[in-house]
Amino acid sequence: MIINFKGAKTYLGTGGKSLDSTKKTLCFLHGSGQNHFSFVQQARFFAYKGYSVIVPDMPAHGLSDGNPCKSIKENAEWINDLLVELKLKNVVVIGHSQGCLVALELNKIFKNTLEAIIFVAGSNEIPVNQYLLDLSIENPQKASQMMVTWGHGIDGDMSINKWPGHSHYGEGNNIMCMNKPKALNCDLNSCNDYSDGIDAAKNIKVPALAVLAKNDQMTPLKSGLKFVELIENCETHILDCGHFLPSERPVELNSIINSFLLKLK
Amino acid sequence: MSENYKFDTLSLHAGHIPDKETGSRAVPIYQTTSYVFNSTEEAASLYNMEVGGHLYTRISNPTVAALEQRLAALEGGASALACSSGMAAMHLVISAICSSGDHIVASSKMYGANINLLQHTMPRFGVKTDFVNPNDPEAIKRAIKPNTKLVFGEVIGNPGLDIMDVPEIAKICNSKNIPLVLDATFNTPYLMQPFKHGANIIVHSLTKWLGGHGIAIGGAIVNGGNFDWGDKDKFPTISGAHFALGGISFWEEFGPSALIAKIRAEGMYNFGPSLSPTNAFHLMQGIETLPLRMKKHIENTHSIIEFLVNHEMVEWVKHPDLETHPDHEVAKRILPKGSGSIVAFGIKGGREAGKAFIESVQLASHLANVGDAKTLLIHPGSTTHSHLSSEAMKEGGLTDDMIRLSVGLEDINDITKDFERAFKAVKKLNK
Ligand SMILES: Cc1ncc(COP(=O)(O)O)c(C=O)c1O
Repeated sequence: MIINFKGAKTYLGTGGKSLDSTKKTLCFLHGSGQNHFSFVQQARFFAYKGYSVIVPDMPAHGLSDGNPCKSIKENAEWINDLLVELKLKNVVVIGHSQGCLVALELNKIFKNTLEAIIFVAGSNEIPVNQYLLDLSIENPQKASQMMVTWGHGIDGDMSINKWPGHSHYGEGNNIMCMNKPKALNCDLNSCNDYSDGIDAAKNIKVPALAVLAKNDQMTPLKSGLKFVELIENCETHILDCGHFLPSERPVELNSIINSFLLKLK
Repeated sequence: MSENYKFDTLSLHAGHIPDKETGSRAVPIYQTTSYVFNSTEEAASLYNMEVGGHLYTRISNPTVAALEQRLAALEGGASALACSSGMAAMHLVISAICSSGDHIVASSKMYGANINLLQHTMPRFGVKTDFVNPNDPEAIKRAIKPNTKLVFGEVIGNPGLDIMDVPEIAKICNSKNIPLVLDATFNTPYLMQPFKHGANIIVHSLTKWLGGHGIAIGGAIVNGGNFDWGDKDKFPTISGAHFALGGISFWEEFGPSALIAKIRAEGMYNFGPSLSPTNAFHLMQGIETLPLRMKKHIENTHSIIEFLVNHEMVEWVKHPDLETHPDHEVAKRILPKGSGSIVAFGIKGGREAGKAFIESVQLASHLANVGDAKTLLIHPGSTTHSHLSSEAMKEGGLTDDMIRLSVGLEDINDITKDFERAFKAVKKLNK
């Protein structure tokens, strides 16, 4: 659905069902340079399971206009304001990559009830190398292509996909190309500059789930495992794939999230 | 991991890795109509397009999907869909994008069935086409109307071998927010990848060079993922609420793969031109050697062109790699590896000479296909167009002395020897 939020056209994926504030809300937060299309196999799945699903295209991403947020905190404030405006009270937030950092900050400031946090390919920090930061200004398209290639495991190289006929690389590149040109650099800088992750992770009091990837070259498994140690009782799973778990292992990821959600009161 | 494999490697591997259970190195032929659901929930999730997977072979099949993913990788597209023939692919694309009242701009120099579909069949359903010269981008621009929903043409036209200036035409389409749909059968992704030049959708007859062995009919659509379908007034059945799945917007749900998602949910579901898994296997087997074959096709084509150009019995030779071809400059720019292995030539002595030539070859096969590993030829004047006068043939851009040759992979000396024998027979007749 499209709304006008903070003066800009804003797209919210809802998984093909209507938002319903009386139900438990699952809010998916996309990663750097991504948008709601990166959760295509989660949004419909959970919406059809009876959850109220919201997958915002952050400003300047996907089908949303506006100026990109310039820090993780700004992203978190934007999400907080959006969920409050939509009166979504009981929310489980699910972040992928940069979305995990945003979830950490949202947990500190959220005005309504955050019931649980799910980290997909997450960490408390996502340093970005200078080459990629520079390239994201000079040639965002090339930077996107590099991220798509690094980001996927062997399934990307070999065009292996559970979704018949789909190419991880071809689809991934085009998803990233839909964003406004400045969005990627703002995202990567937001990640690189973020340094409050350790305290934010220790501060989590709600149930937490982490799903990490064995061959993750963007948020390496080693970093992910250190991160989950900081969180009290974080249920942790490791899948055999690259960084883009939502499209590389949709069935397994959905099943882990679904079981976790069923355990919440 | 993250190797970014090159074209030759992808031709062999894309779409399949040996499964852990059997270790089968070859892509297994999943000769099945349907797939057991593990639970009612799983079944529902497939019907609702919540996650990918297979539910019925008319819609998708694991062997066919391996072929689709190989094609998507070779073309650099977001997604692909394989179907029963090249013509099925063409019809699926048009019916997915257009509705009654819509308009198409198409090349006037294309394969007969492509022309027939647009000129005679689609108007019965309210979709009209204006045909324009494919090598005149300005004419294409002028033909675009407010209700134009796509521009269509063959990169290398069959049988006239006109070359479309894809980058120029793509610029025009892009500025008007109209998808450029190209039939890339004659070039294959080995000779040219249309998405790199700004095209949006590719259709293939896999029957030809991609399959490459004349054993299976098949077609495919590859979706570049680079077109914005968001204009609900212009593309209401892709970005607006569709009757399928409770008013789904394919664009908002599937973005770069909206078109393929729609074709699967509507075209494959309601029309059903599915590709058999066994044919998908055969076609994929062909694709494994596409780079090797195309290299040799081009090598042999260049040798044959030289042989024909210098032959006393040949009136004229047409191939875009010849400087005399009107589209030679465009061909050099967009098809630097060569412009395919179809050659047209005129034989001295007109219609009768053409007939005698065809009847005298021994190695080359006289038949109605192109892109086989074997050398093929046909003489339209005594077969497909035998009912037309010389004048009527000229109007359609053909001459009665014309022979269309699909150059195969045989030893080049054996092909030229075969032709030499046939030319001798024609010479006798001309005396
Ligand atoms: C350029 C072109 N497109 C499409 C087709 C149709 O292909 P199929 O026979 O696989 O339907 C052909 C067949 O000759 C062709 O030459």
